[in-house]
Amino acid sequence: MSNLDKFKEMSKGLDLAQAIAEADRCLLCHDAPCSEGCPADTKPAEFIRKLRFKNVTGAIRTIKENNILGGACGVLCPTSQLCEEKCSAMFKSQNRPEGADRPIQIGKIQRFLVEHSWERGFEVFEKPEPRSEKIAVVGSGPGGLSCAAELAKDGYQVTVFEARPEPGGVLRYGVVSYRFDLNFLEHEMADVKALGVKFQYDTPIDSKNGAEKLLKDGFDAVFLAPGLWDAATIKPEGKEIEGLFSSVDYLAALRDGRFEEIAKKIKGKTVAVIGGGSVAMDCIESAVRLDTKDVYLIYRRSYSQMPAEPDERIEAQEAGVHFLLLNQPLDYVTDKKNRLKGLKLVRTRLGEPDESGRRRPVEITGSEWIMDADVVIEAIGNKALQESCEWYPNVKVDGKKLIKVDPETGKTSVGGIFAGGDIVRGPALVVQAVQDGKVAARAIKEYLGK
Amino acid sequence: MANNVDLSVDFCGVKFKNPFLLSSSPVSNSAEMVARCFDAGWSGVVFKTLNSDRLPIVHPSPRMHCVHYGSKKEMAVQNVEMISDRPLKDNLTEFLYLKKNYPDHPIIASIMGFFTDEWAYLAKAAEDNGADILELNFSCPHMCIEGAGHKVGQAFKLLEGFTAAVKDVVSIPVMAKMTPNITDMNEPAMYAKNGGADAISAINTVRGISSVGLDDFVATPNVFGKGAISGTSGPAVRPIGLNFIASMAQNDQLNLPLSGIGGIETWIDALEYILLGASTIQVTTGIMHYGYRIVEDMIEGLSDFLAEREIKSVSDLVGKALPNLHETEAFDLERQGITQYDLDKCIGCGQCYIVCQDAAGQAIEWDAENRRPNLIEDKCLSCMLCKFVCPVPDLISYKEMPQDWKRQETAVMDKNMEKDIKLEPFTKEGPDECVI
Repeated sequence: MSNLDKFKEMSKGLDLAQAIAEADRCLLCHDAPCSEGCPADTKPAEFIRKLRFKNVTGAIRTIKENNILGGACGVLCPTSQLCEEKCSAMFKSQNRPEGADRPIQIGKIQRFLVEHSWERGFEVFEKPEPRSEKIAVVGSGPGGLSCAAELAKDGYQVTVFEARPEPGGVLRYGVVSYRFDLNFLEHEMADVKALGVKFQYDTPIDSKNGAEKLLKDGFDAVFLAPGLWDAATIKPEGKEIEGLFSSVDYLAALRDGRFEEIAKKIKGKTVAVIGGGSVAMDCIESAVRLDTKDVYLIYRRSYSQMPAEPDERIEAQEAGVHFLLLNQPLDYVTDKKNRLKGLKLVRTRLGEPDESGRRRPVEITGSEWIMDADVVIEAIGNKALQESCEWYPNVKVDGKKLIKVDPETGKTSVGGIFAGGDIVRGPALVVQAVQDGKVAARAIKEYLGK
Repeated sequence: MANNVDLSVDFCGVKFKNPFLLSSSPVSNSAEMVARCFDAGWSGVVFKTLNSDRLPIVHPSPRMHCVHYGSKKEMAVQNVEMISDRPLKDNLTEFLYLKKNYPDHPIIASIMGFFTDEWAYLAKAAEDNGADILELNFSCPHMCIEGAGHKVGQAFKLLEGFTAAVKDVVSIPVMAKMTPNITDMNEPAMYAKNGGADAISAINTVRGISSVGLDDFVATPNVFGKGAISGTSGPAVRPIGLNFIASMAQNDQLNLPLSGIGGIETWIDALEYILLGASTIQVTTGIMHYGYRIVEDMIEGLSDFLAEREIKSVSDLVGKALPNLHETEAFDLERQGITQYDLDKCIGCGQCYIVCQDAAGQAIEWDAENRRPNLIEDKCLSCMLCKFVCPVPDLISYKEMPQDWKRQETAVMDKNMEKDIKLEPFTKEGPDECVI
């Protein structure tokens, strides 16, 4: 199998019979805790009940009306920490009913229903009565798409400005294809386009005050969702190291189809990936598929504290990745030509819980050591681009250059400008960005006096 | 391996090593199949209904459909299968093979004719070639010719006449197989008895429609654009079968051995038929779903039941539930009870709350914070719906309340409107029975 084939497509989801069988396990709880667990209010309890009672089209409608990226969320959400965590069918009781030792696979059902809507050509939305108000959305990632769709459903004239040549943001450039492929993205994009949303690609809003100028250029409101595209790094500023990648660059390269170039760089090499989230898992798994000699995962806390989902972690281990836990990277070791030779680590132990509720890693003095590595991929989170504040100089931001908003409305400090997604939250989930888009769309409608 | 409990039964003077038989159907179509079923443990067979070669038998295609319940398969099976399409000579040769190789396994020959001579001819042929008992098929629900199948079962004079015609020519016992597509089976059963029947088997399939195609509006099985009302079988019809067996077993005038059929898959299903009066049971749909192997669990389960309770023979259990079977008017309505909840086991799904709100006495309050039901005891109707939907076994149970306990009456929404109702009190005297 060629490298291309290994990366091209995601694995098949459930079929109708499997989805109905899964829905059949649902206890149809009165208070629907799964629905409470969805950050974007996709209402899993409702669409599972609809599927259970053979109301398949209604189930699709529930998802798409509440979450225009319901398919993407079904695939990408860390469901075990969201809807599925709340599922009564995995009640951790000795008295749990037969078969209730695992949650309903809500994400998989959701993905199936969205794919099924494409297969049978079921259209959820009717063409709305057009309205005159124009809204600019900056960024075509999940936050931007969600806000755009939500407004377009009511007939608002929405234009999405995308800096890159193609739409999708992290959905296109931030996940590996075998987890979420372009075919799926194109379908989900088509649902947004069908609502009448217009897209302008290769159109970065990055001139000085560019975002604020949109309000003067005929747009009645602006939604900022440019995302975070600068990689956090432990590399000293200004130093170039050959063999060091950010997850952003690494994954974007894979998405661009530059497999051969990446493969050549890491084939037969020892690769270390730093981080414990889903992005780190994407990096290590793809590295394994590119015929590396050894792949290490370096994480400063312990196994159970990783943000990545349990099945992602297990898959990575099954794939042969070595988990190097309780080790904090400090610096890189390079040769005279700035080629990466190793990674300086210090062992940690777990101390008191930090603000995330997880126990804080505490460095063990004197335990520094050097690990040999040819390639390191840093997957330790993204941050705002250095210059991003200049696009919207009057919009208040915090010390990390994240935009400050009213969480109930997405309103920034500038009237008519709203924001959401990672540029507000810092690195967050697709489903949270979807919710930000919905919240802002509602506020924008109110702002425009609907 | 089952223990050594003797499960043998005597049915019309014929000995079966256990009460479990194949019924007349596709599962008993050939000696090759029947031999394998005997090897699996079935004690006897009602061979697929013989025909006299006078009319060609062609099965419609496709022959069957089914009803699923959620992801549970084959709650019911729908069939438009006809009687045996094999030449009579072939079927009788199969009898000879089975009698030679399985002499301890009785063969019951199912037969169906259209007029007396044909019935008599088939009966004689079956007896002459080794049949131990005859079963007269008065009940196939989709034979379309007047005077055949369930049409006979509904035309009692024909049923009696055909039975008598058969009895005239054979000396082996004769069993009449009844259709459930009537109100009271006792009536045709008595006609069969008057015709000389030695036993009754019931039920054949219930006339039904499994589903209707939503693209073509054709009932299933869809036989090239045409559907039909046909025979439904399987677990869904078991309560119907139990009803007919029990009502015939209660009939002292009938007083014939009964062979119970309808939705049997487990030893418990079989035992329920036995407790309500059947002394043998017959299975088809269970085998259509799971194969002959299920008899192993019937034998082992029933053997262990007998052993644990020190019951000597299956015949000691026949009809044992009948003395407890009454008309509902016999119930002691003074004694009332409610549900009780072992909330330590509760997983908080709230299904009990939903059904109590929408289908019962609104006797549950929902404690949203703790995700627990809170029973208002004096509103509980003891319908037990909550117990049925509860996913945790034994969380909800029934408890009797003291004699002085009273249930709240269902509240009237707006008592103030009572003054506006239009109603005269009913004062006429009348009998306690229905009269026109």
